[in-house]
Amino acid sequence: MKKTHIIAIVLIAVSIGVILSTIKDSSSFVSFSEAVENPGVSYQVIGELNKEKELEYDPHENANLFSFYMLDAEGNEQKVYFHGTKPQDFERSEQVVVHGKFENNEFHASKILMKCPSKYNNGSTELQEFNAEEVS
Amino acid sequence: MENEIEYVGEHLIPGEIGNLFIVVAFVGAILSFFSFFKATNSNDSSWKKLGQYAFITHGVAAISIVACLFYIIFNHYFEYYYVWQHSSSSLPLRYIFSCFWEGQEGSFLLWMIWHVVLGFILLRTTGKWQAPVMAIFSLVQIFLGSMLLGITISDWFSIGSNPFGLLREHPDMVNLPFIQNPEYVALIEGRGLNPLLQNYWMTIHPPTLFFGFASTLIPFAYAVAGIWTKQYQEWIKPALPWTFFGIAILGTGVLMGGAWAYEALSFGGFWAWDPVENASLVPWITFVAGGHLMLVNKNRNSSLVATYIFTFLTFLLVLYSTYLTRSGILGETSVHSFAEGMPGQLIVFMSTFILMVAYLLIKNYKNIPKIRQEESLWSREFWMFIGALILGIAAFQISFSTSIPVTNKVFGTNMAPPEDAISHYNSWQIPFTIIVCLLIAFAQFLKYKNSDKQKFFKQLALSLIVSVALTIVITIGMNFKNSLLIGLIFASSFSIMANLDYWLRVLKGKLKNAGPSVAHVGFGLLILGALLSTGKKQIISYNTSGININLEKNEENIDPNAQNIFLAKEDTLKMGEYYITYKNAKKEGVNIYYEVEYFKLNQDLKFDYQFTLYPSIQTNEMMGNVSEPSTKHFWNRDIFTHITYAEVDPTTGVENKKDEYAEPEVVKVGAQDTVALNSSIMYVKGINKELDPVIYRLDSNDIGISLIIECINSKGKRFTLEPVMIIKGTQVFPIQVEDEELGLKLAIKRIIPQENSFELIVTEKKRNNFIIMQAIVFPYINILWLGCIIMVIGSVLSVYYRIRKSNK
Repeated sequence: MKKTHIIAIVLIAVSIGVILSTIKDSSSFVSFSEAVENPGVSYQVIGELNKEKELEYDPHENANLFSFYMLDAEGNEQKVYFHGTKPQDFERSEQVVVHGKFENNEFHASKILMKCPSKYNNGSTELQEFNAEEVS
Repeated sequence: MENEIEYVGEHLIPGEIGNLFIVVAFVGAILSFFSFFKATNSNDSSWKKLGQYAFITHGVAAISIVACLFYIIFNHYFEYYYVWQHSSSSLPLRYIFSCFWEGQEGSFLLWMIWHVVLGFILLRTTGKWQAPVMAIFSLVQIFLGSMLLGITISDWFSIGSNPFGLLREHPDMVNLPFIQNPEYVALIEGRGLNPLLQNYWMTIHPPTLFFGFASTLIPFAYAVAGIWTKQYQEWIKPALPWTFFGIAILGTGVLMGGAWAYEALSFGGFWAWDPVENASLVPWITFVAGGHLMLVNKNRNSSLVATYIFTFLTFLLVLYSTYLTRSGILGETSVHSFAEGMPGQLIVFMSTFILMVAYLLIKNYKNIPKIRQEESLWSREFWMFIGALILGIAAFQISFSTSIPVTNKVFGTNMAPPEDAISHYNSWQIPFTIIVCLLIAFAQFLKYKNSDKQKFFKQLALSLIVSVALTIVITIGMNFKNSLLIGLIFASSFSIMANLDYWLRVLKGKLKNAGPSVAHVGFGLLILGALLSTGKKQIISYNTSGININLEKNEENIDPNAQNIFLAKEDTLKMGEYYITYKNAKKEGVNIYYEVEYFKLNQDLKFDYQFTLYPSIQTNEMMGNVSEPSTKHFWNRDIFTHITYAEVDPTTGVENKKDEYAEPEVVKVGAQDTVALNSSIMYVKGINKELDPVIYRLDSNDIGISLIIECINSKGKRFTLEPVMIIKGTQVFPIQVEDEELGLKLAIKRIIPQENSFELIVTEKKRNNFIIMQAIVFPYINILWLGCIIMVIGSVLSVYYRIRKSNK
């Protein structure tokens, strides 16, 4: 076997590995009802903040716990716990994407992406990202 | 329109001139392309002359567009939508440039101008390559010029977007009442530059990055010219210095983006594998691969096809990168994708060039010289080729994962980007980087064609031993456990040492030819610095204000995720090796600065002042409140802090609420008990049954009793409070005591004689002035910045000496 053949085979193998790993590592957008079926598995849920219910954040008690009610694309309501500080201007958000998983029937988010209406850019929105801090 | 309104005070002339120049630039580019195309195919010098004039006309027109745009921005002519959208009359002069390229039209214009600048240089230096190279330049300029045309054909189809569009004619504005006022110009004010972009990085990062992008066109144009004129190898020599020049510029631009993110944005690091960052990194990687293959080809005519592919790919990836960031397709996945729609035109732009190079490569594939004979394992070119392939795969991996939204769109899938993007990318990129560093280390010691194995190992032995020793020291000293990271420590140290050694011993420390070694040392340092600073970054802002947390939730139970410290105003808390005090908040312009002082405890248990940091929050009307970090730089580490939460008053900005007393709580205590309160520690020192009868007007039958309570606040200051209880017959009189400074009220509620204990009513002040902050220590991050600078110096050196050599 020639060296070029070995190189070509290795190259193809690594490329397939890259593609597979991206598919494996990519998560999917689901509704809460799908996410609750597999507790402990991470999902991303798109939805919006239920602005009629209260946002709970008491930095005096625990600066790293923020919770709110969210409606997913199917309209299911779910209380979401976010282990981080409350994102600035969260009340203004139009669309929310939460990354997280169910544990003991509670949805714990590790990351929140929110879209806020921009005050000036007519019709367009601004995107902001907030992470719960990783455990080091 | 029933009756036309006569508007007063509009300055329409500069816009009309600007529009004229847009058309001239566009037509000039078409004419230039056509002439140079003819000149290439016919070798007729009159076509070439015409092409030169056309390109110069195009260039001058493009520069004039810039001048007109600056003129209207500078004079605050808000009747122009672009000026209204991106500037305001209160904007400091130094940010005028930033307004220019904040918008899409401005950034295309910037890109176009760099091509003009490079094109003018090439007109003088390309010699026999002029016609085909300039034809390609002109073709690109046609597409870029069309982005500015702003011709609306129907509601859903328009070509380009014009920077000189009027505010009152903008689709979002036409129905608004203000344009009915003929004197509206006097009343309007620009909405201003996004405050987030009002810093010096925004002034220097985009032009550098776009200069880098523009520079990828030169090798691309030469490579196309090479196939086109059937000079399959000759193009490499003139393109080579430009390639490494471009690598240096584009690399600087990408790294500046990282430095900006680290210094001015609260990403908490300099690289987050954000799609927009990736989009600018990927072309740099293929650029480096292409440049190294060109070196191989200059010395030995092998792997020419791969050279073409990488050179073409680099420019195409620049176009793709523009598409990703400008089309808004990244939408949900990126923090800073600029959602403005203009994808169609960019897709046509990209497809044209993809089809062009694919056609040229396929049609001429047979004619491109190839070496049949296999390269030796002991040759430099073999390993450089392997290195280029690794870079190609690395670029493919980043591109593929970044393109998930594109994949979704094309194949209708519903994939979401990786949950943990950083570890997803790192799991591939760390092994690739290890291999690349090892190749950088040993490849230079090999000779082209074939090398003496014994000599090779002998030369490498010293740097190998030193790097192994260094790896052991770092691994143990900094407690690295992950074997992949240890591998990278070794590989990067080896690349630093081997290149240093090569420069000192083989090149005898001379500057001539030192470029590659210096650049490689820089790259090794960059990787090592990135690894040490992020691999061992330490979040020190664990909440040590245990006093804020209820007694039940004592220290063991603190949420392990808690990485934000709660700092009440004037409180001093321990954070890492420091004690920190939040002193004050000040509003300056749109920013609120939080003054946080750092102290160290000395041997006498006194606080020694160290330094002050001012993390800030920008009250940004366009983006909401944005936190901006403040970092203390030491030679061997950085302390990076940013505010994660603060209650910001919308009008004054600075919160200055009075601390109010919270709801009282009942606490049961006995003598010698210690109780932790929210902001102090309370110790029941003793019970005083011998109250002074005169002061308290006690009769002989009355009972008077008090508790002597000592409190220690967070600064260690001691207070003594003495709540009193007097019993007159059946009536009970508690006397409440208060300490204003401590923020505490105490009163005895009840005495429980059988238990020898008391019930105390404790009322504490709630700390309404507070911030929540995060602090991260990045060790040895200066190695990273040093590496960046050395890498750029090395690239510049090699370009300089290469130009000098070719001029001789």
